Amino acid sequence: MKSDYFSGDVLADIISAMKEFENRNAFVINDTPYTYRYFSNLVNDFVHALQKEPANIIGIITEDRIEVYAAILAVLLTGKTYVILHPAFPNDRNLTIIKEAGIELILGNKAFIATTSWCKGIKCMNFIGRLSGNWTPIDCPADSRNPAYIIFTSGSTGKPKGVPISRSNLNVFYKAYSGLGWSLDCNDRMLQMFELTFDVSVVSLLYPLTLGACIYTVGYKDVKYIKVFDILDRYELTFAAVPPSLLQLVSPYFDEISLPSLKYLVVTAEASPVELLTKFHSCAPQATFFNLYGPTEGTIYCTSYHIPMQGTIKQHNGMIAIGKPFQDMESKIIGDDGFPVGCNRQGELWISGPQVMNGYWHDKKKTDAAIIKEADGKIFYKTGDICYYDSDGDLIYCGRKDSQVKIQGFRVELSEIEHVARQYFASKCNTVALVTTIEGNQELMLAIEQEFNDITGLKNHLKEKLPSYMIPKQIFCIPCFPLNTNNKTDRKAIAQMIENKIKDNGNK
Amino acid sequence: METNEILNDLTAILREVVKNPALTITLETKASDVDGWDSLTNMLLINQIEKKFEVRFNFREIAHLANVGDMCRSIQVKTNK
Repeated sequence: MKSDYFSGDVLADIISAMKEFENRNAFVINDTPYTYRYFSNLVNDFVHALQKEPANIIGIITEDRIEVYAAILAVLLTGKTYVILHPAFPNDRNLTIIKEAGIELILGNKAFIATTSWCKGIKCMNFIGRLSGNWTPIDCPADSRNPAYIIFTSGSTGKPKGVPISRSNLNVFYKAYSGLGWSLDCNDRMLQMFELTFDVSVVSLLYPLTLGACIYTVGYKDVKYIKVFDILDRYELTFAAVPPSLLQLVSPYFDEISLPSLKYLVVTAEASPVELLTKFHSCAPQATFFNLYGPTEGTIYCTSYHIPMQGTIKQHNGMIAIGKPFQDMESKIIGDDGFPVGCNRQGELWISGPQVMNGYWHDKKKTDAAIIKEADGKIFYKTGDICYYDSDGDLIYCGRKDSQVKIQGFRVELSEIEHVARQYFASKCNTVALVTTIEGNQELMLAIEQEFNDITGLKNHLKEKLPSYMIPKQIFCIPCFPLNTNNKTDRKAIAQMIENKIKDNGNK
Repeated sequence: METNEILNDLTAILREVVKNPALTITLETKASDVDGWDSLTNMLLINQIEKKFEVRFNFREIAHLANVGDMCRSIQVKTNK
């Protein structure tokens, strides 16, 4: 449901909500509530301070505190660009981001700034204790050519790529996202658990503010899976977007979890296993489940799939479908020969439309590699994801392009091996199949997320279901899979753990 | 079991889980005070505690373990039953 004052401009709608709902809570952070009036006052204070600054690219040091969320909104309202700097990132990564983005001003906590090497040599503004105490309405933002934000994602060369998302990208996304049929308003209580360096945090922060709803946050220092479910339970949240790996961590406790107030569960950020969601349904029987998909380059999400809890869930190798493109977005599936393929044929997903970025920040080479400009001027972003369209026009996700590997000349989908291995454990544990290079040979490996002794039993199961070239050379038990800062299963870290184990065994 | 005895065992488990052999903890130590004590290591920590002390925590109990002191008290109550 769109708010009564829905204008299609996310910032204008937030300002309207701030005025209409000033006495309601905008945030609950570590059990402390903050009203829209308080938040608005803080934003207003930052806006006035930022307007005096010539800098356009503003770094914000993330913390789980109201000032950080106010700083983000203030930067957007002044027509500037925000870039999140993460205290837990290595110094070199933050320094690279500062340099690559061209950050000229950093907003953060004075105590942290004073002790942090990467803040040196750059103008910094303390955002704690700035509150003027005089509430004055904020004006609607002026148009700005500056990107709204730049998110830095991992690059294959190790150097992060800057994805600049314009105000126009963001507003087109906002219109499409609002049109997904949510029944949400100022009475809703909504979760924000994502790192601010990850773009799902943008919608988890801005969308509730357009409704006058209350946001419940989880910080990077929290033990996430515990904090999320504690908040969902104690505050009877009505909306949550989470990565499936978080549900997986809690899965041993599903029979103890009851979330009758949850109206919506969005799974996002990585492929969602059907069995996991099916099992979680009993924890939140009233909730409608959505799988939302999108690369950062296409502004947060660009396809949606309403996961039917009654009836058949569309899937491929146990991974839930990603559904139909957002309004105004276009997609096509490109085969190995570079041409579009028909229904039920796999290929790389390309997306086009007003949510797609124009190119990586100051990086023509990477832009040229990822963006295709067609003869009619239409721009397509090559997602690197393998999908196909089914006969209903739903996109079925099959895995990453780089997860399709060639072993002994055979094309192998790693997700298929993972799916078959999960079946052996009745879908009660995570599995990751990957390829490592040992003495120049590419070998399939399988990691199982639990302590487990019957490797022979598992191997026999795999041999019954898979051709011989798809049988992993070795199987490793890892009690808990590492997660990256976006809470996705960290496949690179698992590969490294396996390579280390192989080296250790070789040295013994 | 005495609190100090449990604390010593917890220290050994946590050192192993976060791969920091020099780690020292007190009853007031929280997850946010220890580098590497995140969702993943918390899961491993609970597994190790359950094995070592032959106890079982339900999810609500885990959610209410705000610091090491809470863990010690909870283990004490469970092992004295």
